[in-house]
Amino acid sequence: MYRYDEFDHALVRERVEEFSDQVARRASGALTEDEFKPLRLMNGVYLQLHAYMLRVAIPYGTVNSRQMRQLAHIARAYDKGYGHFTTRTNIQYNWPALTDLPAILSDLADVEMHAIQTSGNCIRNTTTDVFAGAADDEIEDPRPWCEIIRQWSTIHPEFSFLPRKFKIAVIGAEKDRAAIRTHDVGLQIVKGEDGGTAFRVFVGGGQGRLPHIGQEIASAVPAADLLAYLTAILRAWNLLGRRDNIHKARIKILVASVGLEAFREEVDKHYATLRHEDLRIPEKEAERIKAYFAPPPFEDLPKASAPFDRALLADPDFARFARNNVRRHRKAGYASVVVSLKPLGGVPGDITADQMDAVADLAERYAFDELRAAYEQNLVLPHVKLDDVPTLWRALREAGLATANADLATDVIACPGLDYCSLANARSIPVAQALSKRLADMDYQERLGPVRINMSGCINACGHHHVGHIGVLGVDRKGEEYYQITVGGSPDEQAALGDIVGKSLPADEVAPAIQRTLDRYLEIRAEGERFIDTVRRVGPDPFRDAIYETLDAANA
Amino acid sequence: MLQTLEGVQNGPRLSVTTPLDEVEAAAAATDVLVLEFDAFRDGRGFSLAAVLRERGYAGRLIAAGKVLPDQARHLRRSGFDAVELAPGADAAAWDRMGQAFSGSYQPAVDPAPTIWQRRRAASNDPDLQGLADRLNRETAGKDASEILKAALDPALGLRVGAISSFGAESAALLHIVAETDRDVPVVFLETGQHFLQTLSYRTQLTKALGLTDVRLVTPDANEKATLDARDDLWRTDADACCDLRKVRPLARATAGFNAVITGRKRYQAATRAQLKPFEVLDGVLRINPLADWDADDVEAWLEAHDLPRHPLVEQGYRSIGCWPCTRAVQDDEEARAGRWSGMDKVECGIHLGRRQVAA
Amino acid sequence: MKIVTANRLSDGRVIYAGVGSQPVEGIDQASVLDETTAEIVLAEVAGRPDIFVNPYLVEVQGHVPSGRDRLKERIRSAGPTVGHSVAGGVG
Repeated sequence: MYRYDEFDHALVRERVEEFSDQVARRASGALTEDEFKPLRLMNGVYLQLHAYMLRVAIPYGTVNSRQMRQLAHIARAYDKGYGHFTTRTNIQYNWPALTDLPAILSDLADVEMHAIQTSGNCIRNTTTDVFAGAADDEIEDPRPWCEIIRQWSTIHPEFSFLPRKFKIAVIGAEKDRAAIRTHDVGLQIVKGEDGGTAFRVFVGGGQGRLPHIGQEIASAVPAADLLAYLTAILRAWNLLGRRDNIHKARIKILVASVGLEAFREEVDKHYATLRHEDLRIPEKEAERIKAYFAPPPFEDLPKASAPFDRALLADPDFARFARNNVRRHRKAGYASVVVSLKPLGGVPGDITADQMDAVADLAERYAFDELRAAYEQNLVLPHVKLDDVPTLWRALREAGLATANADLATDVIACPGLDYCSLANARSIPVAQALSKRLADMDYQERLGPVRINMSGCINACGHHHVGHIGVLGVDRKGEEYYQITVGGSPDEQAALGDIVGKSLPADEVAPAIQRTLDRYLEIRAEGERFIDTVRRVGPDPFRDAIYETLDAANA
Repeated sequence: MLQTLEGVQNGPRLSVTTPLDEVEAAAAATDVLVLEFDAFRDGRGFSLAAVLRERGYAGRLIAAGKVLPDQARHLRRSGFDAVELAPGADAAAWDRMGQAFSGSYQPAVDPAPTIWQRRRAASNDPDLQGLADRLNRETAGKDASEILKAALDPALGLRVGAISSFGAESAALLHIVAETDRDVPVVFLETGQHFLQTLSYRTQLTKALGLTDVRLVTPDANEKATLDARDDLWRTDADACCDLRKVRPLARATAGFNAVITGRKRYQAATRAQLKPFEVLDGVLRINPLADWDADDVEAWLEAHDLPRHPLVEQGYRSIGCWPCTRAVQDDEEARAGRWSGMDKVECGIHLGRRQVAA
Repeated sequence: MKIVTANRLSDGRVIYAGVGSQPVEGIDQASVLDETTAEIVLAEVAGRPDIFVNPYLVEVQGHVPSGRDRLKERIRSAGPTVGHSVAGGVG
């Protein structure tokens, strides 16, 4: 993974000093809260319901054991002993004091981490495929490009005060495991006409109040011109995007209102007058960065592993874990292992300091010292020898991290909701917990197969409910929590927004309604169909009926 | 550094909410433009400044209105020269925040070398002297175009820029550069003391040759305010004036390059009698494709390619710098005899090594 | 009736305006005020941005939030309604 050099180190240190200066000016009254707010947000500091919240960047979700242990230390020393992984592959702390924040940021800088631009109207953490560098269908590892984008976008002079936030995701395979079409800009690595690396560019995707699926604005931008092209897009939006209405400020609204063609013309106009030579990524710099992402020293191993196969036969619990949480690897004899942060009945994405330490030890021991944060709010050990998976599994089970539900119905994505968030209208966590308890039977979950359920506590959609196979959105009805259900959303290369099936439900009706939906799928699915396939084939109606039939009967 | 100004500044004043084309139209008609931020969160001003600079606006650009000290470097790097402080603003905070960071990753309008360029320069510490010797050998007897092509060979991995005064003989070198690669960055030292004819010639020649990346490099506003607020330093200390307006800005502008193309020729002055096509100065490869040209060669080239002439040539100027320190020469004088005439000075310093300047 | 609430600048914790408009942490210590007095106290604490961040009024019956945002205000006063994955409770 990427390591800081003297320049990176200097920059994060200087950022800590700058922030300390800002905190001091806020305390002295030199900065008003209105002035301070955007500055603290650009360092990941929110003011939530109960306390400040710090969002620490995990660039493109990659972290090593030393960094993970430091995250554990921060949870213990400055917080309440736990953290929360987000759909932007960052980690949040819910309880830090403002006065401790400079020290926390300094501790982060010690391990080459920061909280720069994890919030605010600027370019946010770039996300990618959690299996980057491990997946067998990838044409190129997207992470070096994420790192280049990270550096280019860090404290950008022109793009730090944008109309609204701006999110970029990059993938290196046809299969989209990073939901690029739900991003302001989504980048897919393709082969250019000259055989070199190029980027297929999608623009104007986004969730929130007015969700849009990104549209293709360019089919193959040569890699060297990527930053020039991104600059042109951002410049066009920065100058023309709306600033009068926060809900209409994202680039998706601009693209939708002027139309893709007109927006492309505007981008091309800026592209034509840019200083291309300056923005061309120096080849040496690209090579320097790529070298950090070279594959780890894999051994040449046979495809099959005797210890792995023996454990499959010997232990049905391990077999279940292997079926659901172990993923194929590009290198024979290796696998990627999903560490679920969705214990049955637990808080999606939460992890304790002890668990962080445990998973750091395991990464160091079994996974070339590398961990990934997945946007599904799980962790992944990307490169594990099949021979080691049984031992790893036992250690994970010891730490309470071996729930065998990756991509199953209880692998629920959920935002913190009204229990923590000052923007929320309703709670998400208790609803996710109730659902998880109701669907806890692992045999039942496996019978259902992969199904993604997403929950957001408000229309800002941090839980990505629009693109959940089943989405749940909390709304406020005269001071009471209600939940609107959508069916048929999808974040991948067949990205789609879910259909709202009907009127919203009270909290305790949500889990039963979702179970009826899933049961209906089991009744009507064709051979080999996943939940989303069935929804795509038959539409939302059968599921709407399933959701409301009992309710209607009860209310009749 | 971004200059901090007290009181209301003169010049057309536009809100950053003004559409780009109107801002561009206003900029075309002025050499001082004030862009007023209605809210510090409204970042349009940064893009407006960057676009104006990239499209060639060389006048002064002043930020005004609601801006925070924490935006000092954003303003500077987007192309602003100065900020008009609101009454009661804390100038110390502006200075402090303006210097909060010692480096920036991404290229922007300001000439300071980026982290990417500095990394490259650091890692690219190849044996430049060896390279210069080799290229001198390999290009012996070759013409100027071939010398230039050898230097621009991508296999060498050099980051090459050209410097030009857009003076009496400059068209020849720039023409050869443009024929080889129109996108090579060309640095022009906008000392603020050029003849108006030089400035219009620069525009004319840039267009005629199709050069895509002519960069105007100005003295640092704060340095200038300190050292030469009244623009008359040349009267008392021409070396200091050259240092402020040429040597320091060029050092900043070329920090990202490890190879610089110049139009110097052996015949021009005694100090240049030993000039070779390739030489190393302060860790930078100097490429002098015209080293063995003389005045007749230049004249023949300009003639053959029908290139535009500097308007002052027909008035007897054969080497042209800033107006206070340049005069026309007689036919029997050296071409550069009109530079710093009457002073014990032949070079401005940009072509001398640092150690020599200090001596 | 109304109470005045905000978050404390230093640590972000929920505070209320208590006796003499002093910051207090417990909602039961908050001064319950009529409309007019509440506005006066709100203006007063707004003038102390070194302690009170984003102060506003909450409708209450007794010391219990009763307005449209009552759920949010109850959660603010009592803490999250859920624990976290392992510890099962938040201190």
